[in-house]
Amino acid sequence: MIVGARQGKLSGLRQLVAKAMARDLTGFLVPGIDIAHARGLDVEAAGVRLVASPRHASVLLVVGDISPALRNAAAVIYAQMARPRALLVLGTDDLSPLPSADVTAELSQPGLIDGIAQLRIAFAEGAFRPEVTDFDAPMLHVRVEYTCPMHPEVVQDEPGSCPKCGMTLEPREASANDVDSHPHETHDHGSHSHQHEANDHQSMDHAASEEYTCPMHPEVVQSEPGSCPKCGMTLEPRKAKASKAHDHASTDQSDMNHGDMDHGDMDHGDMDHSGMDHSGMDHGDMDHGDMDHGDDAFMSMIDVTKDLPRSSDGLPMDWIDVPFGPFFPGLPSGLLLTLTLDGDTVAGSNAGTLTDNVTLPHRSALEPLSFVARLSNMEPLAPLAYHFLASQAMENAAGIDITTTAAHGRIGALERERITSHLGWLALFGQQMGFDWLLRRAATMQLKFRYANDQQIMALKPDLASLIKRLRRTPLLKSRNAGIGRLAQDNALRGPVARAVGIDNDARSTNPVYTALGFKAISRDSGDSMARLQVRLDELSQSLALIDAAGTIELPEPTAIGSATGAGEAFVETPRGAAHLYLTLEKGLVVTAQLETPSTHHLTLIDTLTKQQSLGDALLAVGSLDLSPWEIRQ
Amino acid sequence: MTTALILLLLAVGAYLVAVIEAWTMNGRWQLAAPITAGIALLGRESIVPRKPDRVFFEVAPVLLLISALLAATVLPLTPGLIITDLATGVLFINAALVYVLVALLMAGWGPNGAYAMIGGWRFLGQLIAYAMLIVMPVTAVAMRAESLLTTQIVTSQADLWNILYQPLGFVLFFVAAMALAFLPPFDLTTATSELAGGVEAEYSGVRLAVFRLGRLVLVITLAATIVVFYLGGWQGPWLPPWAWSAIKILAVTALMLLAGPALPRVREADLLSLCWKLGIPLALLNIFVVGLQVLVWP
Amino acid sequence: MAMISAQTFFISFFGLAAVWFGIVVFRTHSMMRSALALLFSQTAIGAMFIGMQAEFLGVLQIMMMATEMSIMAIFMVMFMMDPGGLGKMDMTHQKRRSVITGLVAFLAIVAVALFTNWGTLAGSVPDSAQQIEDLGLELMGRSMLIFETAGLTLLTAMIAATAVAVEPLKRNRN
Repeated sequence: MIVGARQGKLSGLRQLVAKAMARDLTGFLVPGIDIAHARGLDVEAAGVRLVASPRHASVLLVVGDISPALRNAAAVIYAQMARPRALLVLGTDDLSPLPSADVTAELSQPGLIDGIAQLRIAFAEGAFRPEVTDFDAPMLHVRVEYTCPMHPEVVQDEPGSCPKCGMTLEPREASANDVDSHPHETHDHGSHSHQHEANDHQSMDHAASEEYTCPMHPEVVQSEPGSCPKCGMTLEPRKAKASKAHDHASTDQSDMNHGDMDHGDMDHGDMDHSGMDHSGMDHGDMDHGDMDHGDDAFMSMIDVTKDLPRSSDGLPMDWIDVPFGPFFPGLPSGLLLTLTLDGDTVAGSNAGTLTDNVTLPHRSALEPLSFVARLSNMEPLAPLAYHFLASQAMENAAGIDITTTAAHGRIGALERERITSHLGWLALFGQQMGFDWLLRRAATMQLKFRYANDQQIMALKPDLASLIKRLRRTPLLKSRNAGIGRLAQDNALRGPVARAVGIDNDARSTNPVYTALGFKAISRDSGDSMARLQVRLDELSQSLALIDAAGTIELPEPTAIGSATGAGEAFVETPRGAAHLYLTLEKGLVVTAQLETPSTHHLTLIDTLTKQQSLGDALLAVGSLDLSPWEIRQ
Repeated sequence: MTTALILLLLAVGAYLVAVIEAWTMNGRWQLAAPITAGIALLGRESIVPRKPDRVFFEVAPVLLLISALLAATVLPLTPGLIITDLATGVLFINAALVYVLVALLMAGWGPNGAYAMIGGWRFLGQLIAYAMLIVMPVTAVAMRAESLLTTQIVTSQADLWNILYQPLGFVLFFVAAMALAFLPPFDLTTATSELAGGVEAEYSGVRLAVFRLGRLVLVITLAATIVVFYLGGWQGPWLPPWAWSAIKILAVTALMLLAGPALPRVREADLLSLCWKLGIPLALLNIFVVGLQVLVWP
Repeated sequence: MAMISAQTFFISFFGLAAVWFGIVVFRTHSMMRSALALLFSQTAIGAMFIGMQAEFLGVLQIMMMATEMSIMAIFMVMFMMDPGGLGKMDMTHQKRRSVITGLVAFLAIVAVALFTNWGTLAGSVPDSAQQIEDLGLELMGRSMLIFETAGLTLLTAMIAATAVAVEPLKRNRN
């Protein structure tokens, strides 16, 4: 039985079709492939083919707990999927506003395989049902708002006229959740109501009245005949139209959506959403109508377009806001990225995260152990690094020194995490570049490294070396990356991103235990995507050497701090750069904490990196930063 | 009769392309997968997105399939196995294939989605450039055969296949064929990680099935074109002509599909400058060299 | 006789289709539809050529127009501010003048068609392979100068147009 079954009796031919569907499962992954890999899942090996568009997916696969904002986005994805569609959920219960899960399983590879087996049975038995219900959720509703064709900053909920120029406001659609998911989004250029006229051409001629305008100066409009005050030409009569005489909503075809089926579900396709918004270009009309050409006046494009934003090439085009996230394939999951596109060129961007902001104690007490757990759960891509960060800061505050052996154990674990994190990034970056081999190979390696002990890691060394060697020899890789996303030296940079511009910014350099192991920070100086790739590749080998030197991998036990009181701080070089934690202890409890993470800094780079780049380059530049939306603090 | 047989062969060919494509992706031979995937697609909803340009949205997948099929009508698989041996055969293939561009523009425009629209326009830039690399090497092929008849082109290679007679033309045509079929690394128009599927993104169900079928037929048709133009068509020792055609076409298909997973996607700017600045001058050079060869060894 | 009437039917069908798509160009409000309607109008003319047994010309027309009209579509969408398909643009302007020009041109063409001495009707059409050969000899023979000149002129015009379009932009920046 599947909640999102397609309407129809399961009989005869449909049984065959349902069996085929059960064998051919296509999945859309929430929050994304990077999280699935970091949690040790290999979805394709378990038998679900992953797809990039929700329209092509039959299974929505939710991995782990996700924030309410991400669940809202996932609901939009679900609504876009074609029926029959199923919901497979691993390791979480809280799903609202999504419908209840068709199959729930534990968050592990065996759990996934088991869940998929159950799902196949559910598909074979319940892909078609005589009665189906619609999926509905608040964020799927379209809200109509009104805006001035000439002053896009004027947006209001009621029809009326523009306070700036007096023109009648035009209706356009915005999704209901636009408001809550990114409250700061200004509705400037962008949303234009793209209306392919389907059948209605004549709708605009009613409610017309006569007015007079100058053929040369279209801004001159008056209701009486006469001559132009600017050039003295006789004004020409024209029909003025009440531009809101027709309502877009009444002409659109959303209600004939599923021509071939009977349940009048209006849920798919039908909305505008923060998720992977396909209808993002719902665009408003620059009304050419009112520049209307009198009988002999040539329509002047210069007048029509003079108020539009210009791109660098001087060609005025309508700009559209296109969402790339939070579940966009090839980008870090949870990252909310909206690019304003001017053709294929990025004219502006808006980036943020839809993950939960972890609350840190602020004049409130928290047990040390739950503080450590909270911090390490925050970041699924590098939990150990934050675990150590919390432990070290508390040790520092309590004035405890740990033994060199324990420090080596931590280094081993931290460097292994760096390897898995960099491999995870490589897989995601491979997906971004459309480089399938890299995606598969790096992901496989990542899964092997995840819980490997030091002997197993040494055994994996030749595999890793051959991956790096093959990658360095790949044709087209250099031309794809060289010169893309170039950054200047900047103190806000952290980790591999900083080291790729030649800044020796590495928290490990100041750590005596690391320097005793022979650590020296790696750096490159060209500062582009290629340099970042190379720094990370070098760090893979470096981390292997460090694990070898440390000789042990020890899963950390937080040191007991007793009932210490004091303030302390710690720097830990996470895979994405140095994170800093400052905290104060009071009688063995954490009372205040301040956290600074590398991705928070890097998020602000997106705007400069993407501006005036072509779409492919812009996305690659964002991908090369290795952002983790989970650690971004807003 | 011939028509029915060729349509059947194309269907088998499309199936084999799907099998080979899956193999290049995950290294497994999944013989039933294309069929189950096809049946599953047919059983799923085919959603019409909101405010579409309905005519374009509906026509695009069908037009893609028809263009690929039309191009196949003038390709000989054996001396007698050809639907129509047009006197303008070579030109006709080009004419049919250009409508792939029209189909993709419609598919990009029709659904009223940003990803699809950008995908459609990207393909326009891509095909305008690479159509030159289809037409110009073919000119050299026709020069050698002194005919636009495809059968004549095959027989003109009796002594020496064109891949050896004009290797430069072969390389250019091969690359252009991959760009025309938007196979990776030239898949900018359907790029999953840039456009979430691009022109395909909004299609689902039956319409998606037709679109994908059209693309598979396009790939097999292009492989057959390469075989006819450069690899001596049905000719070869020991085996019967149909076997040679089949072997060569499948080998070319595998070669076209193998590059995809092993390479990163080409940057759009590189894709275009590669064609205009390098490909087209080389294609002109190829015409010139072949012209000399034709004069020297008539 | 049946053969001839099939041919006549074919030609008139595509002729009417060409006219119909030509009308659609101005009846629609979307640049994209307008451009593609023009494409199908031209394709129908190509089909008419094939109907008239001019196979090479027909196929050439069908091929060239697809690329050309697609290019035109993107230029129309870019320059005419229709990237999102405003869908409200009126494709007609300067109506009085265009009606007059259109009528005059139509009458002129009809007059040319009626009053030209077309010579005697050809008894049989050479087969298409022969046509291609004849066409090649014509192009490379006495018409070579005309075609080369025309080609060069077009190329010059294109380059000049680009130069003119780019120049004012530079001046503005200074």
